[in-house]
Amino acid sequence: MNKFAREAKLWLIAIPILLWTLLPIYHIFLFSISSKDSAFSGALWPDHPTLRNFGTVFRQEHFYLHHFWEQIWNSLWIAVATGLLTLAVATCAAFAISRLKVKGGRAVMNAALFTYFIPAAFLAVPMYKAMGSYGLLNSRWSLVLAMVTLASPYAIWVLKQASDKLPWELDEAARIDGATPLQLFRLVYLPLMMPSLVAIGTYALLLAWNEYLYAFLLLSHENTIPLAVGLGHFLASDDSPWELLMATALIYALPPAAIYYAFRRYMVGGLTAGAVKT
Amino acid sequence: MAAVSFRDIRKSFGKTPVLHGISLDIANGEFMVLVGPSGCGKSTLLRMLAGLEDITGGSIAIEERVVNDVDSKDRDIAMVFQSYALYPHMTVRENMGFSLKLRKEKQALIDQRVAAAARILNLEPFLERQPRQLSGGQRQRVAMGRAIVRDPKVFLFDEPLSNLDAKLRVAMRAEIKALHQRLKTTTVYVTHDQVEAMTMADRIAVMHDGRIEQLGEPLELYDRPANLFVAQFIGSPAMNVFDGVFQGNSVQALGARWPTSARAAEGQRVKYGIRPEHLEPASSGAEGKIAAEVVVVEPMGAETELLVKIGETPLTVMTRGRSNAGPGERIFLAPQASHAHLFDAAGGQRL
Repeated sequence: MNKFAREAKLWLIAIPILLWTLLPIYHIFLFSISSKDSAFSGALWPDHPTLRNFGTVFRQEHFYLHHFWEQIWNSLWIAVATGLLTLAVATCAAFAISRLKVKGGRAVMNAALFTYFIPAAFLAVPMYKAMGSYGLLNSRWSLVLAMVTLASPYAIWVLKQASDKLPWELDEAARIDGATPLQLFRLVYLPLMMPSLVAIGTYALLLAWNEYLYAFLLLSHENTIPLAVGLGHFLASDDSPWELLMATALIYALPPAAIYYAFRRYMVGGLTAGAVKT
Repeated sequence: MAAVSFRDIRKSFGKTPVLHGISLDIANGEFMVLVGPSGCGKSTLLRMLAGLEDITGGSIAIEERVVNDVDSKDRDIAMVFQSYALYPHMTVRENMGFSLKLRKEKQALIDQRVAAAARILNLEPFLERQPRQLSGGQRQRVAMGRAIVRDPKVFLFDEPLSNLDAKLRVAMRAEIKALHQRLKTTTVYVTHDQVEAMTMADRIAVMHDGRIEQLGEPLELYDRPANLFVAQFIGSPAMNVFDGVFQGNSVQALGARWPTSARAAEGQRVKYGIRPEHLEPASSGAEGKIAAEVVVVEPMGAETELLVKIGETPLTVMTRGRSNAGPGERIFLAPQASHAHLFDAAGGQRL
């Protein structure tokens, strides 16, 4: 009886939370399978559910969707580039600070973390200015570089903490075995850091995939913007095609869900690995 | 020719000096054990030889070549760590062959060396396993295999048995010693366990507070400790030591006359040391007997350890065979004069 009461209490909390989070997603789904006329009918299930909206999106058969494939490719390109570049920067930094004990490494790490004291939105304008001076505006690289800047401090911090947990004797054994620092990095450090690397790579990738503000500012051509900004353009007119917007949004939300599901084991372990200093 | 020689080696961590000028020559093929309590600098000395710690002062030579500024990998040494330090993502075979692979040796040679080492260490069935699938003893053998494969000039062991349970430790001790007798590679072995030192070493360097207290063969150290520290560190159970005054060929201490064949100045304050096995129970009629009260009896089968006290001073007595003494009983002790040690009361030096 006691156990039943406890479980009942849990369910009483869980069900509202579940409804609360799923309701908007359900609405996206509902819109995406409704025809234009019935989209705002208020029914919990459309009278004539249809997959026509998805067809329209895939065939780019609407003014706002003329660059759908190009824009989703941009999103993907930017997210993957951000993930890889962040990993490269953060892994090297963590290795140098944690394993090679570079002088001033701690100061660099703290300085990097300090950037989080300033909200990313405030940095948008200076970042715009900087990209402008380098002539990178409207190039996908500008967004990639901006996202790497925003993702790196956290990535360095987490990877440094994870590196600290590798036994020091492994480095010494490798040194005696004749490994140069680069060989140590490649043959011992990277394989052992793999779970954390997957987690951090995914983190940076999703951060870039979901970014709107910076993408909106730095990129303005129809064929350079990522899909997130493309979706925003739907709202430019009074008569927005909501059913198409929502169908596109659903497609846009699938890759992150898939990635998260595939790497969920690493995400929980990897992101909390450096959370507590032991 | 000395395989390894330390010349006036000094080491400081920041402003704290930990080694105060160590000089030590290790002969070719010798099994040298550095033993001492934790913090005595023995591991630091080994790590300096390995090239893992900078040398503050002095020089280290391996086969006459000064290696102060030579990288670890170019010193031709191999090291076995207390924590094994096996690469967790590699198989046993890859772990053992790693150093040869880094040296870009031919695969055929690597295979042959790994196979030979695996045969010596009985690791053949485990070559394709990963370290986490092995027991502690097997991991330690892989760590040794990794060292053997390199065929180095010197083996370094840093407390290799400390992570093993007591039974396995005894077995591995014999295994390492047998390995040394077979390969005859110069070995420097660091431990805090004096039993390991006694049983394995050709020579032992007893270290304390960054200095070598005494250097010698195991039984030499046991029979003629140079000072009080070595006397009490080497031997288990430890030597009995108490204060006394030298008077006419014996020592007046604890209200009794303790015989000794060692000599000191008449009336000199000394420390009298005698090992538990040289302090045998005597019959009540024996000459020069000393009365003591039994506190605890520890029968171990082949021998019996008696903890006794004279006044408030506790002593340990080891007797062969069995004892029918019980706690609280009075017994008599007969110290063997030729096995008594005298130390200077102030400096602790042997007299």
